[in-house]
Amino acid sequence: MTESTPTVGRHVIIPKDGLQAVFDSLMSAGYVIVGPTVDQEAIVYETIENIAELPVGWTDDQGPGQYRIRQRDDGKFFGYVVGPSTWKKYLYPPELTLFTCRQLDGELQFETRQEVSKFALVGVRGCELAAIGIQDRILLEGLYQDPHYRNRREQAFILAVNCTEPGETCFCTSMKSGPRCDSGFDLALTELPDSFLLEVGSELGAEMLLKSSWKHAGAFDLNQATKLLDQAENHMGRSMETSDLPELLYTNLDSKRWDIVSQRCLSCTNCTIVCPTCFCTDVLDTSDLTGQQTERKRVWDSCFSSDFSYVHGGNTRPNIRSRYRQWLTHKLASWSDQFGELGCTGCGRCITWCPVGIDLTEEISAIREGGLV
Amino acid sequence: MESQELDELLQIKPWFQALDPAHFQKLIDIATVASWSEGQIVFDEGDQVDLLYLVMEGRVALEMYIPDRGRRTILTVGPDEVFGWSAVVPTSGIRMASARAVTQTSAIAFDSQALREACEKDHDLGYFVYRRLTNIIAGRLSATRLQLIDMYGKERN
Amino acid sequence: MTVIGTASEQHSAPDIKNRDPMVPYAAVVEKIIHEIADTATYTVVFKDAVVQEQYQFLPGQFNMLYLPGIGEAAISISSDPADPGTLHHTIREAGNVTGALARHRVGDTIGIRGPYGSAWPVEAAVDMDLIIVSGGIGLAPLRPVVYHVIGHRSDYGKVTVLCGARSPADILYPDEFDSWRDHDIEVIVTVDRADKNWSGHVGVVPMMFYRLRPDHTRTIVFTCGPEIMMRFVVYEALARRIDKGRIYLSLERNMKCAVGFCGHCQYGPAFLCRDGPVLSFEQIEPFFGVEEF
Repeated sequence: MTESTPTVGRHVIIPKDGLQAVFDSLMSAGYVIVGPTVDQEAIVYETIENIAELPVGWTDDQGPGQYRIRQRDDGKFFGYVVGPSTWKKYLYPPELTLFTCRQLDGELQFETRQEVSKFALVGVRGCELAAIGIQDRILLEGLYQDPHYRNRREQAFILAVNCTEPGETCFCTSMKSGPRCDSGFDLALTELPDSFLLEVGSELGAEMLLKSSWKHAGAFDLNQATKLLDQAENHMGRSMETSDLPELLYTNLDSKRWDIVSQRCLSCTNCTIVCPTCFCTDVLDTSDLTGQQTERKRVWDSCFSSDFSYVHGGNTRPNIRSRYRQWLTHKLASWSDQFGELGCTGCGRCITWCPVGIDLTEEISAIREGGLV
Repeated sequence: MESQELDELLQIKPWFQALDPAHFQKLIDIATVASWSEGQIVFDEGDQVDLLYLVMEGRVALEMYIPDRGRRTILTVGPDEVFGWSAVVPTSGIRMASARAVTQTSAIAFDSQALREACEKDHDLGYFVYRRLTNIIAGRLSATRLQLIDMYGKERN
Repeated sequence: MTVIGTASEQHSAPDIKNRDPMVPYAAVVEKIIHEIADTATYTVVFKDAVVQEQYQFLPGQFNMLYLPGIGEAAISISSDPADPGTLHHTIREAGNVTGALARHRVGDTIGIRGPYGSAWPVEAAVDMDLIIVSGGIGLAPLRPVVYHVIGHRSDYGKVTVLCGARSPADILYPDEFDSWRDHDIEVIVTVDRADKNWSGHVGVVPMMFYRLRPDHTRTIVFTCGPEIMMRFVVYEALARRIDKGRIYLSLERNMKCAVGFCGHCQYGPAFLCRDGPVLSFEQIEPFFGVEEF
């Protein structure tokens, strides 16, 4: 059944099971679909092929240091927010071979390989879309570009989802990153009670819709979606005042609050692992037994790790206090000098996944109040 | 040296430019000029303290004797720098270090007794002199601290 | 609040846009000069003649030297920027990579990528008096400035090098000082601790400012050495009313990528591999005194 392609910028409606046709089109086009699925009592991002693998009828309950999933009494496909996975897993993987080096007769031969995997990222929320945009700024728009990220990013298909049920630790509205997805996607989905409303973001997105029994969205559908999103905007779990950032942190480098929060922080690096914008990495050099063939890998690192700022002779950040301060002041102060925007998109993961429940929105408020409590 | 030559020598020193003529004269009156050839000892550790020196030209090494390490230079002072300040800070009455001219050196010397008396009689002059000396001693202390913490650290194993 | 300048295209790494920035070029160790204990200068030549010809650097920049299977180290280039065909790296043994490098011989092949980092602002110093203050190995990234001055002597006013070291045996490049003096550059050398034979200055290098009478309206200071030494150099310079925008320091932090991605070398908003390592005191003032920053 050939239909004319929906135009970019238009909204269409598809029945919920029509999403499978989108999946099928993506797979036919060579994409590996990655999206949310239930695994080990969490909603994580994995390779999926069937819409039944999505967490249909699941939701999550989050709080500082708390995460549980439970079943809902409706069959919503996207009735939860973000979990411990981020899209970094695919675009900026935890481990990546930079090159192999072969030593032959005094020659050094460097070999790089670009694995060509086209990923279709399904279920990208507003905060995540913003985070991907932030990583684009860092990895593609500076003096140097990361060719590995560029390769994966340019080939990635993005099916975004507008959040209609914000979580307890969410504060995307404060960071102006959601709940609506405005741009940067191929398709953006809003879940209505009996259908999916899809905004066509690109020609590629339109193409993937062709076989999904789509029809143009009517005013009623659009209104419903608008209402849901407006509601979402007003039900954020948390908020963070950002008008005085970055100055607030630059002028409070000696706040007592750092001492207080560092009593709780375990420097476990969970927050940096689950943060969608954190980009610090380390390099690992390995060798075969003869030393003739060596490999250099890039791996995720964290400014919380004790050796992060080791210089010969000592460590410039030798304790948790200085490292926590580095993380927060980077995320919400220095980042804006470096990249022209703040580094946080309000996804709330660091709050949820901190084993002791440190909440950066609370820390910022406390610093603002003078840091004494 | 003629008082007039001394006059001229001192006038160009930044120290003295801030002095009013009356105070300047009082200092001139108790100042003498000393000079040493290369290697000559100015004073030894343990000597009675008598003179405060302001180096005009040359270089003086301040040394201390450490048993089984011998004499070590702990600091060198050059033109416009003061040494022998223990002359005006009555602590032990004996020199804490030796001073030796490293090159041909000349200096203005102030008799410590006379200097103290002049300061006693004229407190304004005294304030000026001690203020200058405090600055010098503070600077020395700061420098000594840096030497003490060994700022190059693990540079050599 | 602070404006750390974003890096401009001062880097002249060949083919900068298209190349994978993490992959080194092969280079041969052409010469090794033993300088002082644990410190040697390695001269390297790129294997690829085109790269060798195109390679340029600015004074103060550094390369990442790669030893396969062992790792990389950020090493300042210590040679004359006007002669980029001769690349010197003065390296002190301080860790795994530099330790392994010390066991290399002439003819061995290593990996090099660069140059990276911000440069000493030799252009801004034209028609001014320049005070160069080095502590220990800090003279290595400053030596290119001295060479630049020698090559353009009439562009600069009074030029002074204050060279500090822990002891006489730790003075770097002592045999060159006279040739620098021949080019109307005052070189004052001091040690923290004298040995029996030393007849020069004894005292920490910031105190050597007392030897000078800088005209604060036209003096620029470049300094590199242990951070505490640089702190006191800054105090002495400020005490002589030299403007904080005219005092430049070269800072050092842990570096893994040198291209602004790994995050390790951050100093406040500055990536020392890109906005630094050379920064003015004005730029870093808000952070310089903060403990454990």
